[in-house]
Amino acid sequence: MSEKKQTCKDNIKKLKDILVAEDILVFSFETADGAACAAVYTDGMTDKALLGEQVARPLAAERAPENAKQAAKCLQVPECKEENDFTKMAEEVLAGNVALFIDGIGGALILGLKKISLRAIMEPPSSIAIKGPREGFIEDIKTNMSLLRNRLQTPKLRFYNLVAGKQSRTKIAVGYLDGIADEKTVQKIVKKIEEIDIDGIPDSSYVGKFLAERPQSLFKPTGTTEKPDVLAAKMLEGRVAILVDGSPIALTLPYLLTEDFQGAQDYFSSPYRASVSRFLRFFGVFLSVFLPAFYVSAQLFKLQLLPFSFLLTISGSIQGIPLSPGLELFFLLLVLEILIEASVRMPKYVALALSVIGALVLGDTAVKAGLVSSSAIIIMALSGIAAYTVPDLVGTVSVLRIAYVVVAGSIGTFGVLLLTALILYYLVTSDAYGSPMLAPFAPLIARDLKDTLYKASLFALDKRPKVFRGKNKTRLKRTGKKVENGQD
Amino acid sequence: MDKIKVRQICFFLAALMPAAKMLVYPTTLVYRSKNDLLFSALINFALEGGIVALTMLLAKKTKMTFFELISNTFGNVTAKIVYALFALFFFGAALLPLMEQKNFVMQVMYENVPSIIAFAPFFFVCFFACVRGFKSIGRIADIALPLFILSFAVLMLLAVPHAELGALLPVRGVPLKEVLKGSLYSVNWYTDGALVFFFLGHFEYEDRAAVKVLSSYAAGCAAVLLFLALFYGVFADIAVRQQNAIAQMSKYTTSFTSLGRVDLFFIFMLALVMIFRLCIPVQVCVHCVCRSLGVKPLIPAAIVSAALFGLTLFLNYSFLELQTLFTQKLWFVFLIFAYLIPAAALLLKRGERRA
Amino acid sequence: MHKLWTRIFACAVGLLLLLFFSNDFGLIDIQETAIVVALGIDAAENGEGYDVTAQIAVPASTGSGSAGNVAVKNAKTVGEAITMLNHETGWYPTLVHCKLVLLGEKVTEKDVFETLDYFLRNDGVEDSCLVAVCEGTARQMFQAQSPVNDISASAITKVLSSEAQKSGIVAVNILKDFAKQYYSVSESGFLPYISVKSEADSQGGENAQPVFAGQNLCYRENAQPVFARQNLCRGENAQPVASEDLRRQKTSADSPFLKKNKRWRPKREPLPISAAATEGGAGGSGGQQKNGDGNADIFQADKTMLFYKGKRAALLDADETLAYNLADTDTGFAFGNVTMDEDGTPVTYTLKMKISKKKQKLFFENGMPVFTFDIRANARISDADKADSILGIAKTLLVDEKILHAAEEKFREELLSVFTRSAAAGCDVFALRQKLYRHHFGKYEKFKDTLLDSVQVRCRITFTSLK
Repeated sequence: MSEKKQTCKDNIKKLKDILVAEDILVFSFETADGAACAAVYTDGMTDKALLGEQVARPLAAERAPENAKQAAKCLQVPECKEENDFTKMAEEVLAGNVALFIDGIGGALILGLKKISLRAIMEPPSSIAIKGPREGFIEDIKTNMSLLRNRLQTPKLRFYNLVAGKQSRTKIAVGYLDGIADEKTVQKIVKKIEEIDIDGIPDSSYVGKFLAERPQSLFKPTGTTEKPDVLAAKMLEGRVAILVDGSPIALTLPYLLTEDFQGAQDYFSSPYRASVSRFLRFFGVFLSVFLPAFYVSAQLFKLQLLPFSFLLTISGSIQGIPLSPGLELFFLLLVLEILIEASVRMPKYVALALSVIGALVLGDTAVKAGLVSSSAIIIMALSGIAAYTVPDLVGTVSVLRIAYVVVAGSIGTFGVLLLTALILYYLVTSDAYGSPMLAPFAPLIARDLKDTLYKASLFALDKRPKVFRGKNKTRLKRTGKKVENGQD
Repeated sequence: MDKIKVRQICFFLAALMPAAKMLVYPTTLVYRSKNDLLFSALINFALEGGIVALTMLLAKKTKMTFFELISNTFGNVTAKIVYALFALFFFGAALLPLMEQKNFVMQVMYENVPSIIAFAPFFFVCFFACVRGFKSIGRIADIALPLFILSFAVLMLLAVPHAELGALLPVRGVPLKEVLKGSLYSVNWYTDGALVFFFLGHFEYEDRAAVKVLSSYAAGCAAVLLFLALFYGVFADIAVRQQNAIAQMSKYTTSFTSLGRVDLFFIFMLALVMIFRLCIPVQVCVHCVCRSLGVKPLIPAAIVSAALFGLTLFLNYSFLELQTLFTQKLWFVFLIFAYLIPAAALLLKRGERRA
Repeated sequence: MHKLWTRIFACAVGLLLLLFFSNDFGLIDIQETAIVVALGIDAAENGEGYDVTAQIAVPASTGSGSAGNVAVKNAKTVGEAITMLNHETGWYPTLVHCKLVLLGEKVTEKDVFETLDYFLRNDGVEDSCLVAVCEGTARQMFQAQSPVNDISASAITKVLSSEAQKSGIVAVNILKDFAKQYYSVSESGFLPYISVKSEADSQGGENAQPVFAGQNLCYRENAQPVFARQNLCRGENAQPVASEDLRRQKTSADSPFLKKNKRWRPKREPLPISAAATEGGAGGSGGQQKNGDGNADIFQADKTMLFYKGKRAALLDADETLAYNLADTDTGFAFGNVTMDEDGTPVTYTLKMKISKKKQKLFFENGMPVFTFDIRANARISDADKADSILGIAKTLLVDEKILHAAEEKFREELLSVFTRSAAAGCDVFALRQKLYRHHFGKYEKFKDTLLDSVQVRCRITFTSLK
């Protein structure tokens, strides 16, 4: 810090020239010997009580300190650092900290007195646990980092603290476990975040888009979670975590398509139950995507796909329906999406009324009016419900099933197969951060199937997934068992 | 981009190779070899197995690609010419299976005859696959194997109750000349060895790779032979009428069940594997064009796919003529490109092993 | 590059949406499709071409279906008739769910493959469909009414079920297998022969006797054991009593048939076609309507027609059909009656026979062909028309040697009769020529033309019971 005597007034002026906003306030007071002091802070983001108690009162009782070090000793604030650059001072003030100026001391002391209103740590609504931890991330990055640190109390948990967003100056933390995560992946992520040039980052999904190797892709570019236990588990497998200030959703990389089929619950229940759940999830997504398409193509192109008795039932129910089977299901799926969109946004007090309208008017009455067939409604409902067996893929599945219905209605079963082939060609060649998206199926990594296709017992999962290529491969040692590649 | 693993070559031979032989091939074979069709098939498999073995032998001795081997011996220009010729060969080799697949699709997936428009999107998929290089072949083989095993096993199990294997008797009841003719006239279905040959230099030879690859090839052959035996067992004297054989064999078990034709879902699953298989010669063709002209795959892939589409349109009603041309007249072309030239590669200068 | 892919993608999506919303490129969807469940083919009345009757399931808007018969007359070919069906109904006929092809009796006078040719050529028809010959015309057969409100095709399909085949009641054949037999070196095959009988007719007079008690029985006064499941008198006018079986099965829940033959149950659900009749096209009738007298009709398929080179060669009666099934088809068990004289009183035993082995072998002995049947079965008494002692009932698994021998003798006679009658007509129903070709290829040329005449047939039929 410059030892050149500077007046507090000059410093405040310089800072206020940068921070012209009205909610930037100045709290002026004097030391015991009459030296002027001023604390610059953002209204509503600073703990004023602490400012008075731990900053103003000790200084008012002492003689003016001669330099910043003396001043810091005098104060009772644990987070205290010197800063001479007024631009950085401004950034700290905007972040909720206090810039303290004292007559005769150049620069400022930055005091960590940030205090903003935060919601409580609670269970995230999108991933409810029947058994297992219930805490979830909140919007504050420091809280989130502490939640993660609480679960991984190892010095190997490392963070790169970055800032992105020209206007928002959003804090981003790239967390990884040293030696477990692939170093190249970490560096690549850090580099990509550093290259972000955008005004603001309101949510972690923005960062996800910058990290995507194929931003136009229909499939998610990164894994997401709102739960510290899940994030910790993913990091222990070798993934890298990205926490973004202002977002309760943490991102993970590299992302594999199969990880969305793994539920936190799987690891707390028996492997048999978990394997059945996995199968149901795979089947649910399969059903959700393909059932409407096969229903349409069977009616339009291949009646043999339907058992004779079912064919007659369908045939009877669609008599007089004005739309072709393809259009009928296409519009029904659109209605389903509209209902979902509306139900997410509608106020709770009208939700019940609208549910009744949705169920009765759009369902029963539409069938009675001969606008749609009851079998099409059943197919739509089954497909809609089945998609929610894997909530993280609902967006993708919704788009895919409409695409499949269009293809089935235009080209038939072969079209469905061709679209499947196209998607598979796309997925098998989609590598992100060195990990193939469709691993461990393509390329086949037999060892990793133990926790994807089915869930093996805890003791069988003694190795970390091979696909992430971390140096430390072993995550579980059994007493008396010799471990290959054993590294801690 | 153009790397493939030994495991994936194994899967290609075990799953994708048999899938190409389950439509018109059995009928064509039966036409000449009748109940001795297994002998004809065995002759072909032995020959093709030789090419696969040769490829592995070369892979053990050199890390060079075929292009580099020719270039090393005769120079770059010759290598480009040979690759251009092979591009033409694979283009031609892809044509008949394409037409087969089209007829299969029209028969099995549609009840009302649609226009060619139903098959046209295949060429877009093919184009997309060609742009993706050999890596996609390998990884698709990873996907194809479980699909093939599941669908093939179910379809064969459904066919077994209706198969009378006694129909394969008498052994050697058909004159040897006809059996050999059956082999010769079906040589166009045995280009998988040539495809594997073009993977040379694109995979790392690992310990016991030859054993793994040849075992996988044997597994693929066993699947085809089992299929052929059951096929003839189910249809016997009317086998020659049963085009798209794989779609015909299992229906007798499912037709009268309350669930109906559930076998169709497994046939569709196998059809997906066939789509992957169908793309491979076109992918290798595009690879050859790229190496020959030194260009990126995008434009060649588009041109090759478009040309195949055009030819499919043009030959829409000429399947029999095309089949006769390929099986009975152009067999020597297949012998030269799929067998003789790969065998001659053993004589090429291998030079020093690249690091 | 990204732009290029985006454009390609946009073009593909645009094209697809155009196809999807225009929805007009040759497809015919379910709403415009007539689902043909059975086809009946008769020789045209004027002697040339065919009269084809299609039984079509037409689902009603309520969800329940109905069926109607549509007849096309004097078509040159079956294919032409199918095309004309479209004109008759205005609906596009789909044959993918056609499970039955019924040939009128007159069609069998010529090579039936002149008729069936259409089905072998056409991929739109599954060759897994059942094929049968009917008494009279197929059209009349389709107009008959099942007593359980099935439409006729459904009722006939049930009569030809694989369960019936397994119990030896009918000899079922599907198109593929019939074609295989026709195109094999044996050139011989068989089809079940369907006849229909009015329920009222079948209930009246002597014919109303309980089936297994042996009505129309050629009972021998000397009380020799007679295997008398049905009438033993052959000929066209013989009334196989299996029709009675069926009638009772369908009309009475506690019928003797059901009691005795509990394993015989149609497994499949009835075709879900409502019995509500709709007159369709020229010859339409179907569904619930009873026949002219207001009574239901009974379908019976216990006879079997043999074919040689596609033409009818012989008609096996019910006993011969059962014997043939025991020797050559998938039949796994069968019921049969044996009447014995016990203390001067004829007692009929119903035997249930479970086939444990069936083998046919063609071999050469002294240079001459020998054909052997080796059939083994375990028999048990299923019922007897006497009030037995409780000890007798307790020994129900034990069958007296005399009864077993009688049954063996009966089957032997019937089997030889099948062989003799078929061979006399040139029909190689046991595929001897095929066996010769496959297993004795060296002797094929020498014996292929004379095999049926020169072969010596030996039957080894052994029935055993718990001892």
